[in-house]
Amino acid sequence: MSRATERPRSAAEWLQFASAGVIVMVMFYPAVWMVYSAFKSNREIFRTPFALPGEWKWGNLIEAWNVGGLGTLYLNSVFVTVMAVSMCVLFATGAAFAFTRLEFPGRTLMYRVLLVGLLLPPPSVAIALFTQLRDMHLLNTHWALILPGAAWQLAFTTFLMRSYFLSIRPDMEEAARLDGANTWEIFWHVSVPMVWPAMLTMIVLNTIAVWNELLFALLFVTDDAQRTLPVGLVRFSGYHSTDYSLVFAALAITTVPILILYFILQRHVIAGLTATAMD
Amino acid sequence: MLFAAPAMLLFATFVLLPLGASVYYAFTYWDGFSAPRWAGFANFTRALTDPTFLMSFVHVVLYILATLVFEVSFGLFMAVLLNSDRRGFSLMRGMFFAPVVLSMSAAGVLWKFVLDYRTGLLNSTLRSVGLGDWAQPWLAQPETALLFICIVSGWKYAGFYMVIFFAALRRIPRNLYEAAKLDGANGVQQFFAITLPMLKQNVIVCILLAVTGGFAGFDLFFTMTNGQPFGATEVPATWIIKQAFDQNQIGYGVALTVVLTVVVSVISIAYLKISERGHVTRY
Repeated sequence: MSRATERPRSAAEWLQFASAGVIVMVMFYPAVWMVYSAFKSNREIFRTPFALPGEWKWGNLIEAWNVGGLGTLYLNSVFVTVMAVSMCVLFATGAAFAFTRLEFPGRTLMYRVLLVGLLLPPPSVAIALFTQLRDMHLLNTHWALILPGAAWQLAFTTFLMRSYFLSIRPDMEEAARLDGANTWEIFWHVSVPMVWPAMLTMIVLNTIAVWNELLFALLFVTDDAQRTLPVGLVRFSGYHSTDYSLVFAALAITTVPILILYFILQRHVIAGLTATAMD
Repeated sequence: MLFAAPAMLLFATFVLLPLGASVYYAFTYWDGFSAPRWAGFANFTRALTDPTFLMSFVHVVLYILATLVFEVSFGLFMAVLLNSDRRGFSLMRGMFFAPVVLSMSAAGVLWKFVLDYRTGLLNSTLRSVGLGDWAQPWLAQPETALLFICIVSGWKYAGFYMVIFFAALRRIPRNLYEAAKLDGANGVQQFFAITLPMLKQNVIVCILLAVTGGFAGFDLFFTMTNGQPFGATEVPATWIIKQAFDQNQIGYGVALTVVLTVVVSVISIAYLKISERGHVTRY
């Protein structure tokens, strides 16, 4: 698209390009620095912090992977995220469908109650939730992260799914109802396909949130075999705080795949955020 | 109603129930194991005379004010700067946003290296340009620790606000700017006369996000300093966790969470009421 409109740039446009470029480069540099430092020896990190590694030590990555048990952490994070996100998006879509397409007593009240969750900070219930999960015998299981994780994303997800439902006229659903479809069929065969783009966006945004969650993961899971990546990373960097190359390697292993995934899915991430902020 | 039931059930169990329980436990002495004993307002009087807790609110307010500068304002500035169809800008927007998808713990660990006294990127840069005297143990001295946490927070979240403002900028009709140009307005005048008023609604939402998000701030503080040095970066969330889990004073910790909830609710409701007067937010 740009090729066709690429007229010569004016001086002001070059200035804009240059200043934006400098700011973006300076801010992005720490990420690049982290990646190539992961391949250096501790000595090199000390002596020449800016230089590229003299010899690319892939062994750092393997060592960090093994020492930190990053494989387990990854698997735990994937499981928790997949479960929490699918639960949250599915339930929120159902709730948004009910709030916009169905009539039932208490509809407005329920929605209002749900909105409370938009403003509450998670630390405000962390302790009570801890004792509650203990009494439910869920501490140190992945469910201690999945259920609260999904619950805390619900308000925001329902809120946005609802506004998406409101932006679509209910004609299709009404037509299906005239054809004799029951509510369940309407939901699955008419509404879900229609709001699928919004669901996809919510999947992406919730994945970022749940994947990165630290507070609950720190408090509710203390068993090393069940931990998720963010907690694992903080603990790892605490244990090996003097072994710079090892921590850099662990950092690179945990962040680079996410960054690559982000650059692939960039359009969805940004479209999603845009939708959230507009309403 | 059946369709709303799973969501409401989940929400009630893991958000509303602990919220209600908090209010009850806040009035008790409780170590988390034996039966809670009624304490009346003792926990609350203690909270209001707990200097660290009160200071933690000062810190979090400073942090929120800083996020308004480093995240919201800087994000707005970058949205304007990166608003171009020219080649390269789309990539730059993508790069600028990238830190948002990283976890706070990864960002915290990474920046601890950047700010490290001996080997950190910042001090190395200063030394290499001959300003070695300026090198400081940034996170280890009370005067600079909080400031640098705010900066890291800005690094992480400015992209988020940039994207929001950028999308809004795209909706401003071009002809407004053309009219302004004909009237002889320069770039800065156009920004204050057109851009800012047109973005009013987004600015209001972003400030609300920054304020509620700021009070919930935990990850970065925990990862980078956990309240150190000398309590200079203690925020409500980190202090609450210490009280409840390191000192086994669940009752007192819960009381602190209730105070936090009340403060956040009052501020956000007041804020929404004020902004609703301009018919700008539609909750």
